[in-house]
Amino acid sequence: MSKPAAERKRWLISQVELEAWLDGIANARKLIAPRQVSDIMLYRPVTKSVEIAWREQMPVSTHTNRPVLSVKEIFFPPTERLFTIQKTGQEIHLEETFPDWETVVFGVRPCDARGVKLLDALFLDTNPVDSFYARRRGNTTLIGLACKEMGSTCFCTSVGGAPDDAHDMDIMLYEADGGYLVEAVTEKGRFIIPGGEWKETSTKPQQSTYSGQFPVPEKGKWPEHFNDEYWMKISERCLSCRACAYVCPTCRCFALRDEMLAPGEFERIRCWDACAGENYRRVAGGHKPRAEKGERLRNRFYCKFYYYPEQYGLGAASACTGCGRCIEVCPAGVDITEVLMNLEKPA
Amino acid sequence: MYEPRIIAFLCSWCSYTGADTAGIARMKSPANIRAVRVPCSGRVSPELVIRAFDQGADGVLVLGCHIGECHYDTGNHRAAKRLPILRSLMTFVGLEPERLRLDWVSASEGERFSKIAEEFTSSVRALGPVRWRVDPGERQAVSQKLAAAREAISYPETNCVAKTDAIRQKARDLLASEQVSCVIGYEVSQRGRTRPVFVYTPEETGQLVWNPDCTNNLTTYLPAKLRPVKGKETPKPVAVVVKPCDSKAINVMLAENLYRRDQVYVLGVACEGIRGPDGNLQTRCVTCQEAVPIIYDTLISGTTSSFIPRISSNSREELAELEGATPVERLEFWLSQFDRCIRCYACRQACPMCNCPECLYERDDSTFIGLGIGLNEKRTFHLGRAYHLAGRCVGCNECERACPMNIPIGLLNQKLADEIEAAFDYRAGLTVTPSPIVTVLSGEYKEG
Repeated sequence: MSKPAAERKRWLISQVELEAWLDGIANARKLIAPRQVSDIMLYRPVTKSVEIAWREQMPVSTHTNRPVLSVKEIFFPPTERLFTIQKTGQEIHLEETFPDWETVVFGVRPCDARGVKLLDALFLDTNPVDSFYARRRGNTTLIGLACKEMGSTCFCTSVGGAPDDAHDMDIMLYEADGGYLVEAVTEKGRFIIPGGEWKETSTKPQQSTYSGQFPVPEKGKWPEHFNDEYWMKISERCLSCRACAYVCPTCRCFALRDEMLAPGEFERIRCWDACAGENYRRVAGGHKPRAEKGERLRNRFYCKFYYYPEQYGLGAASACTGCGRCIEVCPAGVDITEVLMNLEKPA
Repeated sequence: MYEPRIIAFLCSWCSYTGADTAGIARMKSPANIRAVRVPCSGRVSPELVIRAFDQGADGVLVLGCHIGECHYDTGNHRAAKRLPILRSLMTFVGLEPERLRLDWVSASEGERFSKIAEEFTSSVRALGPVRWRVDPGERQAVSQKLAAAREAISYPETNCVAKTDAIRQKARDLLASEQVSCVIGYEVSQRGRTRPVFVYTPEETGQLVWNPDCTNNLTTYLPAKLRPVKGKETPKPVAVVVKPCDSKAINVMLAENLYRRDQVYVLGVACEGIRGPDGNLQTRCVTCQEAVPIIYDTLISGTTSSFIPRISSNSREELAELEGATPVERLEFWLSQFDRCIRCYACRQACPMCNCPECLYERDDSTFIGLGIGLNEKRTFHLGRAYHLAGRCVGCNECERACPMNIPIGLLNQKLADEIEAAFDYRAGLTVTPSPIVTVLSGEYKEG
């Protein structure tokens, strides 16, 4: 559980101390951090702190503010083997493949941590618990890094987040004069902080710059707009690809299939799926409940702001963390902020 | 000594019988070969070969009847056309070319079968195990040398007002006179991003713009817009704003009968090149040879005619560098690229040429690809897609632009476009003729 801000212990450390700490973590556990892969940034395993891509080092292009994929892929990977099936004669043997190593993720953006928290509502807090997700979640410590300012497509402040929100982290780092301010948010986080060697401080972190806040329609407003012409109109440019869902920190649809490895040997895999795809939810006989791309795109927005909050009891919160990734990757320029701003406007 | 696993696709009429002849005559042939009997070498589609390597074959041998002796007239012409192109594609992504062989064996040539089988097996044995199949979780080191930086050409200031006005004017006329039901063009969003827009009334035409960020290939939307639906009236003609590269896609679509010429009104815009996200000229524009659309009903030329001097060579620097690399380096390069893919299909969806009602690689019952988002599946998808675009890709490079993971997919298409030009003297989209390799498979095959 995260401690209230007033009760959290803080330390002030230099860049050198930070790197030494991360090197130590990488030696003992699996460390995942933003890395430069070709010309984009992704969360990838690192063996030394020098491999970490700091924001300032990234080439100036579209993808600079944050890794292209959210930390979702660490807990809910694009493809994972759930178990293997071995058939010898009449006997069938199943073997589960649980992920089992301790992982520390460094450089988590507040919007991503919030995304994980939102996924917990489905995978952990609702029965049946997803044991694969639960294992990874339990074995992972999140070290956040506050964003000093918001990027051009960011809107976390409009959906209840903030660029320096420490809530869903285990440890939070803020850039400060002469280094970083380290804040232990949870007991789990406190566990990996070598407190004794560091200088404890009572300084409060400096607040980040908030920008571009706009009002988001309340959950109750959504049902009445379901049949609006607007959805068919904005979806005309949609290409029915899945980029928006795959980069999203909270999209969590998946498909399951048994695939053959060798004669008599199979694996059950689970991999990402997305409502934008033309075949999504196709049933036997070929019927597709959402055949039109307008219906599919509408589903994406309703899922974020109505279905998911309603189904998993998020209260007034939505399932969107305002990271803005979908706006950035959409090849056709579909813009979620525009939808939110236009929803209640008369057609 | 490594014993390779070899899959041999044998034509039922000649080569499979040829293998039998070898057996009856008690000739020796290596036990490494697993024969798959197919009705004709023309049946061996590239997807089958890719899948065989994907599943761990060390070599694939395709044998058919001699040219002129096909029991289906031209089936082996098919094989002779597509397998060499497939081989060059697979070589480009790091397979040793010796691992894929196409040859001819007739029913009486038992000796020839045994000789080819022996030769092929020993050449594959010498190469050792294939490095093609990747075990899940294994990651390859990135070859930094090949992560070539693109030379930046800054984008010149151009006056787009005249073109914008001309597009709006023409769109208004077309909609007012009911010549077309819809104009597909570009607009600037509230956020300031240029994106596709569909305009249905003369009043809305004020939304239309032209600027250096009009990157989308709008012809992608045409097939769905113009496809006749059972029980509904025939779709009305549509006007579309195109750049020179986009206009070629219309030619390919017309050749493939996706719609009729009278169903589209082409608003061709003379193009000075399009900007990338870094503000410089896009890669595709650097090698583009056309300033004016190939096909149009109205040409919007604007007032300026500042055509940027382009690099004359057809190939990108990276292409040349990759071709000079060793198979191991190429394999490493492409694996590190495909590794980033998330199978979001943005490339396919943005592509005007990818317009199958259902993608072969997305069918639930597809035997050509697994469902997973693993390296083998991702590579299979990209190679299959590249092959399906052979002689059809017009080089608009929208696939690469749409890719959220910045994978240089366009290089695959460009490589094949060069191969097709060398083999068939054909470049896609310059005229209304179908692709000599994917769309039209029969026809005369010239040896040599």
